[in-house]
Amino acid sequence: MNTAIGRRLLLSALLLTVSSAVTAQVRIVQTNSQGDNIHLIDPATNTIAGEIKGVPINHGAAALPDGSLFFFSSEAEQTLHVVDGKSLQTTKKIPLTGRPNNISISKDGARVYVGIVSSPGAVDVIDTKTLERVKSIPMKGGIHNVYVTPDGKYLVAGSIAGRLMTVVDQKTDEPLWTLFEEGVRPMTFEVNPDGSTRRIFVQLSEVHGFAIVDFHQRKEVGRITLPNDVPAEKVDKGPFNASPSHGIGVAPDGKTLWVTSRPNARVYTYSLPDLRLLPNPVDLGGRPDWVTFTPDSKLIYITTENTDLVHAIDVASRKEVAQIKVGKSPKRNITAVIR
Amino acid sequence: MRWLFPFLAAVALTIAVMTAAPRAAAPEDELPEGEGKKILVASCTSCHDLSEVTKFRGYYDRSQWRDIVVTMMDYGAPVNEKQVDVLADYLAEHLGKPQGAR
Repeated sequence: MNTAIGRRLLLSALLLTVSSAVTAQVRIVQTNSQGDNIHLIDPATNTIAGEIKGVPINHGAAALPDGSLFFFSSEAEQTLHVVDGKSLQTTKKIPLTGRPNNISISKDGARVYVGIVSSPGAVDVIDTKTLERVKSIPMKGGIHNVYVTPDGKYLVAGSIAGRLMTVVDQKTDEPLWTLFEEGVRPMTFEVNPDGSTRRIFVQLSEVHGFAIVDFHQRKEVGRITLPNDVPAEKVDKGPFNASPSHGIGVAPDGKTLWVTSRPNARVYTYSLPDLRLLPNPVDLGGRPDWVTFTPDSKLIYITTENTDLVHAIDVASRKEVAQIKVGKSPKRNITAVIR
Repeated sequence: MRWLFPFLAAVALTIAVMTAAPRAAAPEDELPEGEGKKILVASCTSCHDLSEVTKFRGYYDRSQWRDIVVTMMDYGAPVNEKQVDVLADYLAEHLGKPQGAR
């Protein structure tokens, strides 16, 4: 009897898992930094599957783990927009303590962290249940990008003005250590087999490449410069916002690191963990910016902000498979799974 | 009758000019001349296009514009202390939030 009930329960759980896996939708959430709209791209078809309107000069994006709510920072309004995942309508605007830049969400979806770039700099903390700002963590310098490490244990905030990266304990909100004396730009994380953070790859002001940070040692252990492999007459002279390399991501399977170059209008790929440059960089025909992957690591999406395009690239072959026209000056992007 | 040809030519030229496709205005063309514009062009365009400034048209009051100028100085923009308020005044006047807007 007990065995029969157990089998039924197991079968039900299996069906539920299969059903939710089948119905889950992956969306590339693409902000447009000089517009008031955000595009949702369906990676199955590489077409626009939805549009969120009314978020002027949107900067950062985040989504709850189940995709039921999206969050976008608006530099123009200095608010965080809460957007319903089904209707794609803004349901609330949460006032922030200053001009926001990029945002991130905790692994459990309980908190959204908003980088405040206005001096003196802070990370505003939003409770995703009450949809209220519950805290503001003081920082040394305006915050451009804020991340949650893949294990959910730490916040990592980068400041251009403060010229440092700050690692914060996610439980106590207390800063633990800092690094660099250079403007800190986008970064991405490599994990150990147990999910803890192994290395951070960090882009810096005026650096055409990235720094390698050993998380355990809390120090920079190397720096890689991107190749100068484009004929001089084809090199874009900028301006690049003092950031010639401003887009970086470790694929979810942890096998490759992708790094964009604005002057070369290319994306370069490195194997992990050995950081060996792989052949066949992908030409993008514009100034590349942010990157995001599908959860299965099969596709990477890269914006070129001066052509208003998102490029879908097959990770295995490093070939472009689609170009998707989006809004004005697309920059930050994330991958959301809607269940 | 000799006056007719130049007259018709002038009319044709005027129509041609008026109906030609308008050139898309560059951000710097949209901004009136002034000391603030000189500082803006000299200090900002080495890092980014002016569209990164004009995109905020109508959203910020003077104190918010000043905050942006100070942030950009922290980023390394070559603006001196005396120029901060000149630039903030200029941005507020020409790109600022309309009077009465909340």
